[in-house]
Amino acid sequence: MSAIPRRADIAVIGAGVAGLCTALFLARAGRTVAVLERGEAWGESSGANAGTLSLQVKRNEVLQVSRRAIELWRDFQERDGMEIGFARIGGLRVATSERELVNLRKSQGEQAALGVATEWYDGNRLRDFAPWLGPEVQAATYCDWDSMSVPLTAGHGLVMAVRAAGVTVATGAAVTAIARDGEGFCLQVGSEIVGAAQIVIAAGAWTGDVAQMLGVRLPVAADINMLTISEPAPRLFDRVVTHIGAILSLKQYPNGSVLIGGGWQGTGDLAQGTRRTDYLNLVHNLRVAMQVVPALRHLRMVRSWAGYEGVAADALPLFGALPGVPGAFVNACARGGYHQGPALGEQMAEMILGRKLSLDMRAFDPGRFAA
Amino acid sequence: MKDADLAIVGAGPAGMAAAAEAASLGLGVTVIDDNARAGGQYFRQPPAGFRHTGAMFLDKDRARGSVLAAALRHPAVAHWQDAVVWDMPEPGVLAVAAGEGSGRVRAKAILVATGAQDRPVPFPGWTLPGVVSAGGLQNLLKGQRVVPGRRAVVVGNGPLLLLIGANLVRAGVEVAAVVEAAPIWNRILPALASLARAPDMLALAIRYRAVLARAGVPVLAGWTVTGAKGDEAVTGCRVAPIDTQGRLDRARERSFDCDLLVAGFGLMPSLELPRLIGAELAYDRRRGGWTVKRDADFQCSVPNVHVAGDGAGIGGAEMALLEGRIAARAVARKLGKQVPADDDLRRAWAKRDAFRRGLEAIYAPPASFLDLMTEDTVVCRCEDVTVGDIAKRRSELAGSVTQVKATTRLSMGRCQGRNCLVTLAAMVAKDTGVDMATIPLPRPRPPLRPIPIGDLAFEDIPPPDIPADPHLPRKQRA
Ligand SMILES: Cc1cc2nc3c(=O)[nH]c(=O)nc-3n(C[C@H](O)[C@H](O)[C@H](O)COP(=O)(O)OP(=O)(O)OC[C@H]3O[C@@H](n4cnc5c(N)ncnc54)[C@H](O)[C@@H]3O)c2cc1C
Repeated sequence: MSAIPRRADIAVIGAGVAGLCTALFLARAGRTVAVLERGEAWGESSGANAGTLSLQVKRNEVLQVSRRAIELWRDFQERDGMEIGFARIGGLRVATSERELVNLRKSQGEQAALGVATEWYDGNRLRDFAPWLGPEVQAATYCDWDSMSVPLTAGHGLVMAVRAAGVTVATGAAVTAIARDGEGFCLQVGSEIVGAAQIVIAAGAWTGDVAQMLGVRLPVAADINMLTISEPAPRLFDRVVTHIGAILSLKQYPNGSVLIGGGWQGTGDLAQGTRRTDYLNLVHNLRVAMQVVPALRHLRMVRSWAGYEGVAADALPLFGALPGVPGAFVNACARGGYHQGPALGEQMAEMILGRKLSLDMRAFDPGRFAA
Repeated sequence: MKDADLAIVGAGPAGMAAAAEAASLGLGVTVIDDNARAGGQYFRQPPAGFRHTGAMFLDKDRARGSVLAAALRHPAVAHWQDAVVWDMPEPGVLAVAAGEGSGRVRAKAILVATGAQDRPVPFPGWTLPGVVSAGGLQNLLKGQRVVPGRRAVVVGNGPLLLLIGANLVRAGVEVAAVVEAAPIWNRILPALASLARAPDMLALAIRYRAVLARAGVPVLAGWTVTGAKGDEAVTGCRVAPIDTQGRLDRARERSFDCDLLVAGFGLMPSLELPRLIGAELAYDRRRGGWTVKRDADFQCSVPNVHVAGDGAGIGGAEMALLEGRIAARAVARKLGKQVPADDDLRRAWAKRDAFRRGLEAIYAPPASFLDLMTEDTVVCRCEDVTVGDIAKRRSELAGSVTQVKATTRLSMGRCQGRNCLVTLAAMVAKDTGVDMATIPLPRPRPPLRPIPIGDLAFEDIPPPDIPADPHLPRKQRA
C-alpha cells in the first residue's frame, strides 16, 4: 500500500483510464486530486484492453466524444510526450455477407450525417487498397480517424504524467465505505480516512458496488472480453481492422505482434474475481480473424487473456452527477471506454469545475436509471 | 472431442513409464508430446532415419528407452506426436494443437509429465552466440549428434556439469575446465550415506569424474563464471571463486579461452500446466525453487490431475520412471482395475528420493547468482530487457513483478517468461528483503506454448452465437 493522502479537493476512485484522465484535467486546472486505487494502477480493464481507437465502430451516441478522444490521445503523445504508442493509421470495417453489406451502408450514412465521413471500398478497389484481406470480405469502409495505441506503455505514460501534474496516486488503497461529511465526503481506505469536497466514481466494472456505498443503484454488468496476441511477424497489414457483423478487432503493432480481439466472451464471475478464456469463443475469435486476414494462420499465438469490462444496461457511458448525492460524480462504463477515456476525463473535469461542457453529454446522465 | 481414461502430457521417462503401466492394466491411454519422437530429454532419440555411428556412449541407455517407446505402440495407447497441449479449458479436458488433428481430449484422469527446463542465470555475455544451456547442449548431442565447438568450458551448478564435461570429452572436444559453483568436494562425506542409497548413480558420477581426470580437465569447485567474452561470438570466459559468505572474490578472477561455453545452473520443473490450472505449489529451497504439492499417489491439489517426474520436482530419470508407474497404478485403481501392490516401487522410490536429497545437499548453490549481473546484462532475451531497464521502471513505479512486466514487456515474448520471470522474482525478493516464496509469479495464460493460429481452424465445433447488438451487455458461458 502506498501512502494515503488525508485530504484532497477531489478524490477519484479507480486508477484506470477514466480515473487517471479525470485526475489529469482536474490537476491541470489547479485542483488537488487524490486517486485511490484498490489494486495496482492500470491493473484492470485499462491494462488488459486492446488499445483500439476505432471511431467507426462506435455507437452513434458516442461518436463526438470518441472523435474528441482521438485528438486528445494524439496530444498526450505529441504535445505532452507521454509514451502512448498512438498511431493514426486508419481503419477498415469489413462486411462478409449480404446482410452485413446493407448494415455497413446504413451505418456509413448515419455516421456521415453526424459528421464522420468514411470511404466505401469493394471489388478491385478493395483488393488494391488492402490486398491482405481474405476473399470472403466483400466490402469495407475506411475511416481515417481510426487509430491504435499500446495500452501497456500508455498506462505507464499516464501515471507518470498524472503524478507530474501533482496528483497523488495511492495504490493498494481500496475504498470500502463512503460517508457524507457536511458539504463533502469521508472515504474509508483500510484504517485511514480520506476527506474530499467532491468525489468521482471511476471504478470501472465495480462502479455499481461503489455507488451502492452511497445508497445509489446503478445497473452495471461485467463483460469478460478476450484478447490473443501473436509472436512478432513481418508486416502483414497496416490498418486497424474491425467487423460490422462478426466480432473482431485486429491490429499489428510496430514490433510485428498481431493483437486479435473484438469482444468475444471469456468465462468467470466478477463477484468471485474469476475470469479466464473460453475455449470455443477463443477458437471462433481466431477463425473470424483468419477469415478476414488469412495470412494470420501462419503466425503463432503466444498469449491470450480475459479482462472485465463494465457496461451499463444500455451500453452508454455512466457520466455525470450521481443522482441524489450532490458533489459525487460518476465516470465509468463507456463501451470502448479506453478509447473515450481522455475525452470523458476532460468533460468530467469541466463538469466538476462548473464550466459549460464543450460536448453534449446529457444522454449519459446516470440519472436515466433513477427510479 | 476424443475420450481417454488417462491422458498423459509428455513422453519422457515419467510419461512413457506411466503409459506402459496404464495400458498393461487395461486403461485407454492418450499420450501427447511436442517432440517428433518419444523419449523426452533423457531418452532423446535422433530423428527417424538419422544414421550416425559415432558417439555411441550416448546410446548406453538406448535399449531401455526403446522398450518404453515400444510400449507407446500398444493398441490401447494413442500417441500424439508433434502435439502441444496448450490449455486445460475445463476440468479433465486438454486442448491440443497438432495441425489438422488439433482438438480436445477429455480424460477421466490426467498425468502431467512435462519434465524440466534449464534454470536461467543471466551473467554478462550469456546471450552471445556460442553460449549454450546444459539442456540445449544435451539436445544437440543426443538429438542431432552435433557438437557446436572445439574448445569448451562448462560452467554453472549441479550434477549435470560432470556428465556434460565427460560427454564433451568423449565427443572429442577439448574441455578447458568444468566450473562448479558449489564447493562439492567438502560436502561429499556428510552426504555419503544418502548417496549410497543409489549405488548405480554414484558409480556413474565416479565414471564421469574419471573421464574428466584422464583427459586432464580441471574441475574448479566453489567457482563461478563471471562473464563470457567476445564480440560476435564467445571467445572465452572469466571465472572467480565464491567465498564462504557466498561473495565473489573478483580479485582472484581467471580466464579461459573457448568457442563453446556451456552454462548449466541446474534444472527447474516446467510448471506451466500446473500453474495454469491453479495447482498448489510449494517453495523448496533445497530442491531449487517451486515444486508441485502432491499426495502419495502424486496427485496434485486439482482433483484427478497427477504430476510425475521432473515436472513436479527435479529428481532425475530413475525417479521419474517410478513416479510415472505409481501414478498410473493409482489411476487404474481409482477406475476399478485390478492393480498389484506398489510396495516394491515405493521402496525403490524412497531410495532415489534419499539419493536426490544427498545430491541436493552437495550441490546447494549460493543464495543467488544476482551478483553476476551488471547494469546492461540482459534479463529477458525475447524482449531485450536489461537489469538497467528493470531498475528504471522499479524506481518510477511501485515495481511489483506484474508492473515491471507490463512496463518493460519482460516475459511477453516467445518464451512466455520461462527464461526471465524467476530472475525478476529473485531481483524483487532481494531488493525488498522478502523471501522468494512470497513473490507470486504471474499465472500463465493459454497457450502454454506458442501454437500456430491455423491449428485452430480444424476442430468440428458448434457455430458461434453472434449477438444482434454486440454493444449491449453480453452473456458468458457458465
Ligand atoms: C480484453 C479487453 C479489451 C478491450 N479492448 C478495448 C479497445 O480496444 N478499445 C477500447 O476503447 N476499449 C476496450 N476495452 C474496454 C476498456 O478497457 C474499458 O472500457 C476501460 O479500460 C475502462 O476504464 P476504467 O478506468 O473505467 O476501468 P478500469 O481500468 O477497470 O479501472 C477501474 C479501477 O477501479 C478500481 N476500483 C474498483 N473498485 C474500487 C474501490 N472500491 N476502491 C478503489 N479502487 C477501486 C479497480 O481496481 C480498477 O483499477 C477492452 C476491455 C477488455 C477487458
